[in-house]
Amino acid sequence: MRLLLVEDELDIQSFLKRSLEEAGYQVEAAANGKTAEQLAIDGAFDILIVDLGLPDVDGISLILHLRQLGVGAPVLILSARRSVDDRVRGLEQGGDDYLTKPFALAELLARLRNLLRRNNPPGNEATRLRVLDLELDLLRREASRSGIMLQLTPQEFVLLEYFCRNAGRVVTRSMILDQVWGMRIHPDTNVVDVHIYRLRGKVDTVGQQPLIRTLRGVGYVLKDR
Amino acid sequence: MSSKTGKPKLHSAAWRISIWATLAFAFGTMIVFVFLHRFIEDDIQQRSDAWLAGEVEVLGDVAERTPKDALYGRVVGEVAELAGKEVPNKLRSESTSNDSVFFLQTGNTGVIQLWVGAGSDTETLKAIEESNMLPDRPTDVRVKGFGVPFRVASIQVDDGSRIYLGLSERDELRVLNSLRLRFLLLWLLIVLFGFAIVFYTTRRMLSHVRRITDAASRIGHSDLNTRVPTTQRNDEVAQLALTLNRMLDRIESSMHQLHTITDALAHDLRSPLTAIRGKLEMSLSAATHGEQAEPIVSAIDELDRLTEFLNQSLDVAEARADALRLTRTPIDLDELLRVMIDLYEPSMAERGLQIRFHSAGSISIEADAALIHRMIANLFDNELKHLPAACIVTIRLLTEEDAVSLIFADDGPGFSPEMIPQLFERRVKGKDSNGHGLGLAFIDAVARAHGGTAAASNRSTGGAQITVTLPLVSSGNGDSASMLLHAAS
Repeated sequence: MRLLLVEDELDIQSFLKRSLEEAGYQVEAAANGKTAEQLAIDGAFDILIVDLGLPDVDGISLILHLRQLGVGAPVLILSARRSVDDRVRGLEQGGDDYLTKPFALAELLARLRNLLRRNNPPGNEATRLRVLDLELDLLRREASRSGIMLQLTPQEFVLLEYFCRNAGRVVTRSMILDQVWGMRIHPDTNVVDVHIYRLRGKVDTVGQQPLIRTLRGVGYVLKDR
Repeated sequence: MSSKTGKPKLHSAAWRISIWATLAFAFGTMIVFVFLHRFIEDDIQQRSDAWLAGEVEVLGDVAERTPKDALYGRVVGEVAELAGKEVPNKLRSESTSNDSVFFLQTGNTGVIQLWVGAGSDTETLKAIEESNMLPDRPTDVRVKGFGVPFRVASIQVDDGSRIYLGLSERDELRVLNSLRLRFLLLWLLIVLFGFAIVFYTTRRMLSHVRRITDAASRIGHSDLNTRVPTTQRNDEVAQLALTLNRMLDRIESSMHQLHTITDALAHDLRSPLTAIRGKLEMSLSAATHGEQAEPIVSAIDELDRLTEFLNQSLDVAEARADALRLTRTPIDLDELLRVMIDLYEPSMAERGLQIRFHSAGSISIEADAALIHRMIANLFDNELKHLPAACIVTIRLLTEEDAVSLIFADDGPGFSPEMIPQLFERRVKGKDSNGHGLGLAFIDAVARAHGGTAAASNRSTGGAQITVTLPLVSSGNGDSASMLLHAAS
């Protein structure tokens, strides 16, 4: 996957480049709009990360300009602004996504994956999900582990489904709040942890290999190996 | 808001102004007409007096020269009758019978010598004697049997007899009557026309003022781009619009400045925060031992709290200046609260708290989703952080006529009394609170940015209560409003 990173803060650019490369992307970086434009036209990129506050050109204008030049790759917009302006919303509706700074790396990676998947939709959605001995029937909204039915509330099922779809990858608390409850909020209480604790109590019963792991300071991961 | 359609209201200024102006106008024109009437009346009187004086002189002359024989009566009578045919102001359609003029000659002793005219000669003489006429001045005389008075002139003939010539004022009055009727009609027409003109112009003027008022009231803190409508003319109303627009320019520019400052502050702080967080995360993935990881984890937690504090702090600052930018979308508060309760219930239960929810069902408002989400999360966080175990949190969603109230009540220890007056100030927090003291200030800020209010109190039965009231109809930029408004050039 070829990725173009447009970010003028070199500190941020360098750690993003390293992390993205670790995650398996081939990263080209640009620190201003002009370089970004040249790179985008020359190289065929699968996805772009564009910071809104560039020194020479407004990020949105750059994206719109690249679109006019025929660059069709999806864009993840990075914004240090507090309010999401209408043009960003417009791009979001057009299939792009935005992330406000500061962000968790896991969330950045998840949004990139989402954007790539949205652009290359898989044929038929699976009706069953399987992670190790955990099995989810998406039509009947039932989950079982090692053949034993789990008694989950509808909300817990949605949470587990989200974990299974991201099995093996880190999910943060704000990602869970966004995807499962549909809110971009940052409560300063441990609301999400309690949900995970309850879910774990049902999924990882005594004597079984624990599937839901806590990564302190980062989030959670559902083991797939 | 005032009516937008052109239906005049009885208490509207246009009506009041028109009615007063019309009254003044009617009074003025009435006075003019009264003077005109008096002038014409005097003129007619003078003309008939002049005629009477002339004729009576001619008659006196004729009477003097005519020999006092048997023919005397016929000659003078014919001359008198002839005079009666040349009456001024006489209507043509009048019948041939002449009852508008009489001629009377009396002898020395007051005996009637000659009488020409309709009616009774003795009655007429009686009336003349009763009205003590002045010589050489025509006088009004009321004769029994006639509705209108006669104007009578007299002359002394040399032989001692006296000649009276009377002219009925009937024709004169008829002329004046028809004149009055015409004046009245003309007056009514002028007054009506004047009223119409005054009403039309004031309403036009005032409708412009009303458009300005409507437009100005619609320009809220979320919509400072629009301007009140202006006109090409250079009158007081146009000046008002221009002044308002200049004021809005200044407000917009200071708002813009505030936004620039807060945005720059946010940007300048967030960029290093992003870099720090990224580096911390990378070192966390490199840290293998738990002991190494622990300080990094807590540093990331602190960083996230700092970020949230920064966001809320700037939001509160902007809301205090009425400058918080909103992106309104329809939100179902009932549904949102159910989702929130679902999210918070496990944490509450873990701390031994119960939630009860009372709602009359779906209730939709136009609000900024992100802010409302964070505000409600703050309300829950507030309960979670401050309530001891075994308390009950009662959440009520009440719909009033034009507002919706969201009430969080608990049966805990309540707010300490000395804190209540300043609860919504920044950095006010309980002694054992571990928050940054922005929670309630943020709730207040969001409520106010949406045109609502937030109130905190202790319940009479014990426990704290926070009430957030939000208007059902958003004050500001609807579609119809933006169609009416056009930016000032």
